Amino acid sequence: MQVNQLSKRIWIYALMLLVAVTTVGPFLLTLFISLKSPGEGIYDGFLPANPSLINFVEAFERANFGSYFINTIIVSAIAIPLNLFFCSLAAYPLARMEFKGRSFALVLIISTMMVPFQLFMAPLFQLAGELGLHNTHVGLVIMQVSTAFGIFLMRQAFLRIPKELEESAYLDGANKFQVWYKVALPLVKPTLITLAIFTFMETWGDYLWPLINTTDSSMYTLSIGLAQLSQNFDGANLKLVSAGSILTVIPTLLIFIWLQKYFISGVTEGSVKG
Amino acid sequence: MSRLLAKLLFNSILLLSLISLAACGENSDETNTSDSGEISGKVTMWTASLSGEPFDSYFSDIEKGFEKKYSDVDVIIEDIPQEQMEQKVLTSLTGSEVPDLVNLNPLYVANIAGQGGLLDLTDLIDEKTKDSFVEGPFKAGINDDSLYALPWYLTTTVTWYNNEHFEQAGIEELPTTLDGIYETAKKISDKTGKASYYPVINDGNVIMQKMVSLANGDPIVKDGKAVFEDNQAILKYFETMQKMYEEGLIPQEAAEGSIQSGQELYMGGNISFLEGGVTFLGPVESGAPNIYKTSKSGPPLVSEDAPINVDVMNFAIPSKTKNQEAAVELLKYITNAENQLEFAKIAGTVLPSTKDSLDDSYFKEAGDSPKAQGMMQASKALERAEVLIPPTENSADVREATKNIFVQNLQGELSSEEALSQLAEEWTKSFEETGEDVTF
Repeated sequence: MQVNQLSKRIWIYALMLLVAVTTVGPFLLTLFISLKSPGEGIYDGFLPANPSLINFVEAFERANFGSYFINTIIVSAIAIPLNLFFCSLAAYPLARMEFKGRSFALVLIISTMMVPFQLFMAPLFQLAGELGLHNTHVGLVIMQVSTAFGIFLMRQAFLRIPKELEESAYLDGANKFQVWYKVALPLVKPTLITLAIFTFMETWGDYLWPLINTTDSSMYTLSIGLAQLSQNFDGANLKLVSAGSILTVIPTLLIFIWLQKYFISGVTEGSVKG
Repeated sequence: MSRLLAKLLFNSILLLSLISLAACGENSDETNTSDSGEISGKVTMWTASLSGEPFDSYFSDIEKGFEKKYSDVDVIIEDIPQEQMEQKVLTSLTGSEVPDLVNLNPLYVANIAGQGGLLDLTDLIDEKTKDSFVEGPFKAGINDDSLYALPWYLTTTVTWYNNEHFEQAGIEELPTTLDGIYETAKKISDKTGKASYYPVINDGNVIMQKMVSLANGDPIVKDGKAVFEDNQAILKYFETMQKMYEEGLIPQEAAEGSIQSGQELYMGGNISFLEGGVTFLGPVESGAPNIYKTSKSGPPLVSEDAPINVDVMNFAIPSKTKNQEAAVELLKYITNAENQLEFAKIAGTVLPSTKDSLDDSYFKEAGDSPKAQGMMQASKALERAEVLIPPTENSADVREATKNIFVQNLQGELSSEEALSQLAEEWTKSFEETGEDVTF
């Protein structure tokens, strides 16, 4: 019995190790390549012989990372509160209020997730132009201001709140808006944080829309800077691209590590009740 | 929590107000032509994947030079990642903020011009300017007898090889025949114990170019019908590649066929020679300095009189430009001999497309570095270089069929005769569908 248990445990650990290697391995490889000195070949060995930060400095300068970093922070700072606000506002009636066409509205919202971005990119570009949103930070985030995924995630979270809590608030004289932000929202805090992380990741890594919507390179974001590095005129310098990738991914990693306990509970919370 | 939410609400409303303000404040200072006939106003130019130094300084000089020549013009130069250029130009054409000059490859030119997105330059460019370009690259900007783009910089195919491996195998000259390629690869692989030759496929375009090159003057497509089935040189090429793959002289990665995979194998010392553009050595120099040092270049692996392909980067003017006069002048300015020569010098691995700039001594005394030597090889190859495959509407389909069938041939899933027969059938079918009666 004990032997069986041990062998089962070995298999589980082997499987976990395999998953860890396949997910973390490419990241580590990128990190090691980025640390290789100019005289060292990227295929000369797995670990850098003389670790150097020079690629990070050069990538930072070559891809104009300074200003692109600030742009990306600004657009993320705009996108997150707006997405949380609009998604939770749209999701609450879909979860809690009875009105004609509620199911249809939900299906309609969810079905927009199936439409590829390229299909509505041109009309969106025109619309953004007419609203004067080209080359503006706000224009860069219109894709993230309210997302179907966010509405769905928040609706699932609102469905889990016991109705009694809201009913007692109504008895105390609260109106629907007050119940939404004083009772319901505090109870779905983990889901809000989860949505904030998702929005951050989407905005931080968004590439095509920021590129299409900007005709002024001073408005570019980090992902465009990274593309400029990797699509360099005479081929990519892989050490610089690796360093640029690491620089780009660090904030996402830090935020995820900081908020991961909420993230996991937020995801599972949304998935319990359909 | 409620205070936080109140703040959140306030900030969101504030931001929405800013959106409205931004909408009201849209910039409306577009371009004009002055009454005196002098060009004026704003002119925007998009370059493709040319950001950072030395290009930033070069374009800054171009901007200053043009603004000095035309004091009422404001030049704005932006860089766009090359792979998204076509999408970005097409999207911009649906709105009102359209660039005035864009850096496109011939395929993008053909596609955008086909949709009415580019200005017909036939009557806007004078004959003297037209004559200043090398003929082959100039033709790359012509679609349906109309000129839509002027050529800018060029690259041609050269052979890159690891000289250390060649010396180990006692090989002193690059092969120019298919038997020679086989023998060379075999000798090197016997010494290194690794595969040695990598045929670049990319999306099928390189194989198509190779077929035209091997046909050496005989058309492989005549009036929209594939006629290469009985071409012995092409058949032999397919057979030789299959044999080399089977014997391990070509690595398995060749089935993927991208130049990037070839580059990685070359940087790792896992192959010894391949054909590629002049810019091939860029990543090798930074990613594998030791391999770079031992790299040498030579002519393409075809007979000395065979035509070889030239890749052209063009400049074109979108049809919705708001400042046509300034755009045409800037187009002529950026592609003139002097500016092209300067660009070739700072880029270090490309060739200019004007006859005068190519005559410069720079291309005969570029230096001893592997990159400079490659450029000199390319400039020699330019004498017999032309755009081998004309851009067509069905280009993507024909390329895809070529790649798939070539890989099946490589892996031995089809005999070479079957592969050529299937390929001819696919090409003819595709040309019939689009009704294109091209010959090349």
